[in-house]
Amino acid sequence: MALRNHPAKYSAFGLVRRGLRKTNWPRVWREPDWKSSYDVIIIGGGVHGLATAYYLAANHGITNVAVLDKAYLGSGGSGRNTAIVRSNYLTPEGVAFYDRSLDLYNTMSVDLNLNVMFSERGHMTLAHTDSALRTMNWRAEVNKLQKIDSSVIGPDEIKKLAPSLDVSTNTRYPILGALYHPPGGTIRHDAVVWGYARGADAQGVDLHQKTEVLDILCEGGDGADGKGAGATVTGVRTRRGDISAPIVVNCTAGWASTIAGMAGVRLPITTHPLQAAVTEPVKAFLPTVVVSGSLHVYVSQTDRGELVFGASVDPVATYNMGGTLEFTEELAGHVLELMPGISKMRLLRQWAGLCDMTPDYSPVMGPTPVEGFYVDVGWGTYGFKAGPVSGEQMAACVANRATPDLIKPFELSRFTEGELVGEKGAAAVGH
Amino acid sequence: MKNRLPSRAGEQIDRSTILSFTWNGKKLEGFAGDTIASALVANGVTVLSRSMKYHRPRGLLTADYWDPNATVQVGDEPNVRAAHRRLEDGMVVSAQNVSPSLRFDVKAANGLVGRFLTAGFYYKTFMKPAALWPRYEKILATFAPGGKVDLNTPHGYHDKRYAHPDVVVAGAGPAGLAAAIAAAADGASVMLVEHEHEVGGHLLWGTDDDRATAAALRAEAEAAGVEILTNSTVTGRYEDNWVAIAQRSHPMAVERLIKARAKMLIVAAGTIERPYVFAGNDLPGVMTSGAVQRLIRMYGVKPGTRAVVLAANDSGAAAVAALDDAGVDVARVIGSGDRAALVKATGSSTRIRKVHMGDGTTENCDLLVTAVGWTAPTSLLNMAGDRPVYDPSAARFFPGTPPDNVLATGGITGDGTRDQLIEHGRATGRLAAGRAAVVCHRLQASTARAASVDGAEPSYPADERAALPRAPHPEMFRAATHGIVDYSEDVSSKDLFGAAAEGFDSVELIKRFTTATMGPSQGKLETVNTVAVLAEARGETIAEVGTTVWRPPYAPITLGALGGRVFEPVRVSAIQPWHEANGVTPILAGQWIRPEHYGDPAEEVRNTRTNVGITDVTPLGKLDLQGPDVPKLLSLLYTNKWMQLPVGGVRYGIMCAEDGVVLDDGVTGHLGDDHYLMTTTSSGAATVWNWIEMWLQTERPEWQVHVTPITTGLASINIAGPNSRALLGRLTDDIDLGPEAFAYMQVRTGTIAGIDDCITWRIGFTGELSYEIHVPSQHGLHVWNQLLEHGVDLGVQPFGLEAQRIMRLEKGHFIVGQDTDGLSKAPTTGMIPLLKLDKDDWAGKPEVAWVLDDDYPVVVAVQPTDPTVVPEEACQILRADTIDIVGRITSSRFSPTLGRSICLAQVSQEFSEPGTELTVLLVNGTRTTARVMEHHAHFDPEGTRLRG
Repeated sequence: MALRNHPAKYSAFGLVRRGLRKTNWPRVWREPDWKSSYDVIIIGGGVHGLATAYYLAANHGITNVAVLDKAYLGSGGSGRNTAIVRSNYLTPEGVAFYDRSLDLYNTMSVDLNLNVMFSERGHMTLAHTDSALRTMNWRAEVNKLQKIDSSVIGPDEIKKLAPSLDVSTNTRYPILGALYHPPGGTIRHDAVVWGYARGADAQGVDLHQKTEVLDILCEGGDGADGKGAGATVTGVRTRRGDISAPIVVNCTAGWASTIAGMAGVRLPITTHPLQAAVTEPVKAFLPTVVVSGSLHVYVSQTDRGELVFGASVDPVATYNMGGTLEFTEELAGHVLELMPGISKMRLLRQWAGLCDMTPDYSPVMGPTPVEGFYVDVGWGTYGFKAGPVSGEQMAACVANRATPDLIKPFELSRFTEGELVGEKGAAAVGH
Repeated sequence: MKNRLPSRAGEQIDRSTILSFTWNGKKLEGFAGDTIASALVANGVTVLSRSMKYHRPRGLLTADYWDPNATVQVGDEPNVRAAHRRLEDGMVVSAQNVSPSLRFDVKAANGLVGRFLTAGFYYKTFMKPAALWPRYEKILATFAPGGKVDLNTPHGYHDKRYAHPDVVVAGAGPAGLAAAIAAAADGASVMLVEHEHEVGGHLLWGTDDDRATAAALRAEAEAAGVEILTNSTVTGRYEDNWVAIAQRSHPMAVERLIKARAKMLIVAAGTIERPYVFAGNDLPGVMTSGAVQRLIRMYGVKPGTRAVVLAANDSGAAAVAALDDAGVDVARVIGSGDRAALVKATGSSTRIRKVHMGDGTTENCDLLVTAVGWTAPTSLLNMAGDRPVYDPSAARFFPGTPPDNVLATGGITGDGTRDQLIEHGRATGRLAAGRAAVVCHRLQASTARAASVDGAEPSYPADERAALPRAPHPEMFRAATHGIVDYSEDVSSKDLFGAAAEGFDSVELIKRFTTATMGPSQGKLETVNTVAVLAEARGETIAEVGTTVWRPPYAPITLGALGGRVFEPVRVSAIQPWHEANGVTPILAGQWIRPEHYGDPAEEVRNTRTNVGITDVTPLGKLDLQGPDVPKLLSLLYTNKWMQLPVGGVRYGIMCAEDGVVLDDGVTGHLGDDHYLMTTTSSGAATVWNWIEMWLQTERPEWQVHVTPITTGLASINIAGPNSRALLGRLTDDIDLGPEAFAYMQVRTGTIAGIDDCITWRIGFTGELSYEIHVPSQHGLHVWNQLLEHGVDLGVQPFGLEAQRIMRLEKGHFIVGQDTDGLSKAPTTGMIPLLKLDKDDWAGKPEVAWVLDDDYPVVVAVQPTDPTVVPEEACQILRADTIDIVGRITSSRFSPTLGRSICLAQVSQEFSEPGTELTVLLVNGTRTTARVMEHHAHFDPEGTRLRG
């Protein structure tokens, strides 16, 4: 799966050589010529779409592939998430799914010959109530059996790992314990996007940015314009022109239901913003990722020294990514509950991303009632963590025209056949 | 203070007040009114910081809030803007980002290898060997810029303020002041917010006449009743003009957040002067024209001795005039818009020494002043949805079309004389006041309280302002050489060219790859130069490249100000004083503090099972439901049937979410005609209320149901045990407690301990004969005391949550969220008879119907083979001799009643048959066995006690 056909291998040696010769690096990916036909079109140039393209080429030899993005690569959720990865999920299937993702992340820098700066700094989920502690114990017990490094630790050990946390008992939500997962951590999310993009491009995949999809072309279906159930996809219409292809994969987030609607496929998705924020940089003081469910906050410090905060999705369904003042107020209040010593740090920037929520908090992956039209959507708040394994599995799904077992539970048909993903759901979000 | 000029009119400093402070441990002095930076420069300090990556020495550049080189540590506060923060006596100031000291910095060696450390170099190396990356990462992390957090920093005083002004004006330069005055004159209430310490904007460092005008405008604004907030920043504009203001001038708070719902927002943010990109542009002594004017005119500080001035606009000439005033020798003025005129600057590690011209000549100097153009800080307008538009003839971006309730005025919109700016400001103020009056009228007309408003709605004024002129300006972004574009991030134009050549060639990609514009000023200084360099690299126009989206906040705001007071309310019942006076051990349960026990929970269980116990269950969610359609609502939300529940009846029900997962459970009583009381779990109270409102408001708006949450309106007490009837009987005359008159699962309303309207129902969570009484909250403590007083001979004792949990476990009652989880659908509870599939419809029914055919896990009662082993809650149940998980222990206690351990567990159906032997993996890693019981109830499965 290692990168092949690459014109410029990245290495320290290369940096020195080009530094001495004062030459620029060649393009990380080509600016491809426009083509009117491909074997596979992938809509969405985020980590899911690019990983799918990469693995189509790397694992299945399918390289006549186009990835289309309406803006620039990684402009959606891939560039807006808080870049936390972990595998300490609750169900054995969830653990297996995300552990595969974590494996791929672990070797990604070498596989893609681009340093994605995976920082295995440990991941700590705080428990503030006895019921939360019970859930942590449950997760730890499951993880133990799965050979996942994950255990419940007490306030003293928490204090050692993250001295900025207030573990005293006189707080409103005292920290009773935490689920500690040393292999979890953070990653440079943009680098993951670029790594897959560069890797896909090197194998011949065309990456078309600023190429918004306006319609999906179908024939033979029951609905208007030959779309809907029973149809066969024939291509897409973009702002730059039509492209024909027998296979179209919807790897978008935020507008997944709109894109699917263009093929006459209805997805059970509502879209909610999830807000995040970052502070000014300060010298390193928070070595692990800290998550508090009760206080609706997760926080980590980047190598650049900024604290990155995220919360849960906004309660109201909207496409508005403007962000709210209330979010920053609640966030700051809760963070100061956890770390009272940082009140003089300043919030530098807030932003929002869109999360496509499904009724069972599980993604929708695989074929649709339109022949040749596939989806990898509905990833809610956890799409980034699953990017590599999703790409790998979707590539197999498309290449073999058969859904791999690992993602079989996520097929769209489950909503009409009553097989909602529950405890069997590999990626069903833990709690 | 060797660089201090003689006193002059209009300066901001008070020379009669001398302030002492330390800089990197050295004692220095400044004047009241100085900024930290002006005092440092007055003392001859030229190097204020070192850069992030190459640790290059940096001096003052813009001498204002946005100065990227003047960020310092002040005591426990990191990242203080030294060119904005006023000096205080005793300040302990130190340079940030130095290793080990500002003068000698070993990391400056990085500068020598800079050609290898191009932007994003870290993406291209350290991949192998993978095992070493964590060490590289630690080294990289030491390059993080910024100051140090002192984890012992006290939270301090942080309050917030709400305001409802007609007009908020962001920026108090001439246009902003004039706008505020005109709006106030037309009757609007106005908040005028100024980022700097004094109003006046650029007039403050202008001519004597400019400063006199600023003073006059200030007086006029004060007289007009404008609220002036200096040293305060409008940090955000959110939906519907929800405006955030960071007030740093509050007498007590370090920073205070003001939240204003402005009917109109006027953005008069002025302009920010752009640095020029050329080789050596970050040498100490290279400054913008605004910086030298500020230093000389506001602080009486001499910025250098011999200057070269690059003057592509009027501000350059003004800087020359200021330098002349200050006695600085102006060696050469390059009065040209030709980007080839200046090539590079060279110097020592502490100061610029020489400027190299395009014509081959050089000039020795210790100061290079650049005046090459302006950036319009359109950030607040962006937040309102506006996208700026580039005008090449003026070499800057201008606002596009903001929404109607946001107006821009002053330098951000164009150029012009002082009088033109003031006139544009006045016209904007009048327009804002006119529009605010319409909004006011509409608000009043639509409030119930003020149904009639005087007069007709004023007409909505159209925007008929004459636009300010745009002065032609050469496009001066970069000389022919490469220099620093983003000072905070140490990103050069060469880095940007390289990144563009590599394919990171859209403005967002180049930002992410090089981190240009991502530093503390968020692009206020750097964005336009970044865009210009990218355009040059791509051979495109600036308009084609476009710009990034500016997000809130406009300027960084402290977490303290945003968080405000730590205000997390605690809920306690009316009986809490008694608990606290009687040795309670409390437990945190969501928002509530509840009694966990009073010393010995096992004894509390024993007494309740033998005599009578009372417990405070006030946190139970309680909803008062009234209206003819309540039965329909109950039938829709509960899985069982509710249409026939008679008045006086109480029923238990389970609620599902739409995915069939158990949402909540509880009992609901039929109190009277069209009147019900619903109880929910304590933690589910808010969820259920929201759930009901969601159904009533969005799905069944035609139903007549009123829902009132009354959880805290009623104090709830459970009286349980064989003597409970006798005890309650002593306190009520009008409720017949006879077993037939008031049977199990019945409700009565009557007088208890002299308190009317107490709701009493007979239920049996503990498994004993028991009554749950709901009394008006203010009488809760009284009734509690009466129960204790009248039950002494009956053996009454209080019991806490722990005893209640033990007793419910002895009875095998599941708890939502403990024995079920976020994936447990209703059949898992084992309450199959309550799932009425023959009922027309209920929330979750299709999913429950589906899952009933499946192999869903089931809650069962379990007893460990060894009665002394109490498995931890969360222990996994395994298929024997494997590590395959088939279930888990969800509740586990030692039963004082049975003298053995008892549990509830969730197991797959294969393991749910009574008598099945389970393998339980204890947390310590050992395995033990347990047996599935026939009934959920470990104790009194027939329920004879509770029905007695």
